[in-house]
Amino acid sequence: MYATYVIWNKHMVKFLRNREELLGLALQSVLWVVLFGVGMRGLISEIEGRDYMSYILPGILALSVLGGAVGGGMVMLDERLRGILKEYLAAPIPRLSILLGSATSTATKALFQAVLMLVVGILMGARLALNPAGWLVSLILLGLFALGFSGIALAVAAVSRSIAGYHGMIFLFNLPLLFASNALYPLAVLPGWMQAIVLLNPTTYLIDAIRTLAFGTTATLPLTLSIAVVTLFAILGTWLALSMFQRTIRS
Amino acid sequence: MTTFAIEAHGLVKRYGDLTAVAGIDLAVPRGSIYAMLGPNGAGKTTTINMLTTLIVPTAGSASVAGYDVVRAANQVRTRIGVTFQDIVVDQDLTGREVLDIHGRLYRQPTAVRQRRISELVELVQLTDAIDRRVRTYSGGMKRRLELARGLMTDPEILFLDEPTQGLDPQNRVGIWNYIRDLNQTRDLTLLLTTHYMDEAEALAARVGIVDKGRLVVEDAPATLVSNLGADVIRVRGQGERDQFVAHLKSVPFVIRVDLDTLGEFVLVYVDSGSRRLAEIVASAGANHFQIDDVTVARPSLGDVFLHHTGNALRD
Repeated sequence: MYATYVIWNKHMVKFLRNREELLGLALQSVLWVVLFGVGMRGLISEIEGRDYMSYILPGILALSVLGGAVGGGMVMLDERLRGILKEYLAAPIPRLSILLGSATSTATKALFQAVLMLVVGILMGARLALNPAGWLVSLILLGLFALGFSGIALAVAAVSRSIAGYHGMIFLFNLPLLFASNALYPLAVLPGWMQAIVLLNPTTYLIDAIRTLAFGTTATLPLTLSIAVVTLFAILGTWLALSMFQRTIRS
Repeated sequence: MTTFAIEAHGLVKRYGDLTAVAGIDLAVPRGSIYAMLGPNGAGKTTTINMLTTLIVPTAGSASVAGYDVVRAANQVRTRIGVTFQDIVVDQDLTGREVLDIHGRLYRQPTAVRQRRISELVELVQLTDAIDRRVRTYSGGMKRRLELARGLMTDPEILFLDEPTQGLDPQNRVGIWNYIRDLNQTRDLTLLLTTHYMDEAEALAARVGIVDKGRLVVEDAPATLVSNLGADVIRVRGQGERDQFVAHLKSVPFVIRVDLDTLGEFVLVYVDSGSRRLAEIVASAGANHFQIDDVTVARPSLGDVFLHHTGNALRD
């Protein structure tokens, strides 16, 4: 799949060249951690035996993955609306490599932002548990989650008629994925009906697993279940992107 | 090795109830320039999209460079170059990167890519701008870059969809010169679409007029024109126009009679304009049609186009 690499590489070149996008992503990370984390820390000093910064950092990481995926979907939407997709379609390359090139570049951006936030979070006082194996698994889970959400973003990008339409659709996913989860508050404090919604959200499982693996919090959900849900989310997201993409290139 | 670079038989493309291409046959000899001439929405781009494997035909078949566009799509893709109707080029890359990435998609080795880029940049005269971002290019420069991209992989056949749309006259003539030059020096086959008569006339060995998804007529531009008659007498006036037209059709030396799209002019094709002018003017008077204006001219491809697609009167 050399073509996948060429397309990934091209998207990375464009990404690194686009100073506004880079600066925006970096500042977003800092703003979230500083404004939200520090502000809430004044209100809540400790939660489930951990400082609040360590508690919300996994949620902010998940959020940054969403942000990165939205940006990645934009690249594909832009190439589709500008017609650059046709250059790929006229080339002797597998159709799948076009989607994979976009999916991997999207996931790379998302991970890039997550790592940036992690660094800012640690600088602001979040404390990682000393568990390198756990860090590694957390990173893989973040990668899978990135792939899943990139899939959703790319699926929307494959069918949107305009950039505004894309953002409107994505916003519908983005907001509930963050707030209807355990990112900012523990599952136990929520009323029953909201718990039910939160448990339908794959973000909840990602965050619980990262908290357990990288920040040493006691798991509130079985770890194997969390890993299974995140993996399933990645597969579903990829499948969704693939089917929408195939529908688009056929017409 | 077949003699035709492009062959199509009964090519059809339907989108639901809409028929974009209603059965087109093509046979473009190797090393020739073929122009599909037609109004916007005639089905030219859809035809090109089928020939370049972007979309699959609903019915019919086509082969390009000897390979079937559906069953051997990848074989076709490696042998063709394409430029699209709209300018399709990454704004954030430099011209050199655009060409280089294109070559990499086709798995050209680095040395070949570098050699091709330096050759092509010279050909399309972008030497000074090639390391600048495409964002800073003018429309004509972007078109030239696209032309270079289409040629990057040294194709046998180049498809150009509306190659000079939106360009100023100077850039248009520039692109025409590249196209002629490529055809002559490299024996490249070119299929282009256009809605400019002068473009088709200036470039193509054969012109196919496309209207409402069908190929209406096809021939060398000069033959298409001379088939209409040696001269056209354009008559504008008022009165019994229908009676005048009916009378003209019964005159032996009148080859055909058309009305222009606005119905303003009666176009009378005759064997010799200067010799027949007096008779035409006299017959207008005899049929109660008062002439305001009359001109004699050689028919143009525009007249051919009007005759085949516009408000042509039935013979």
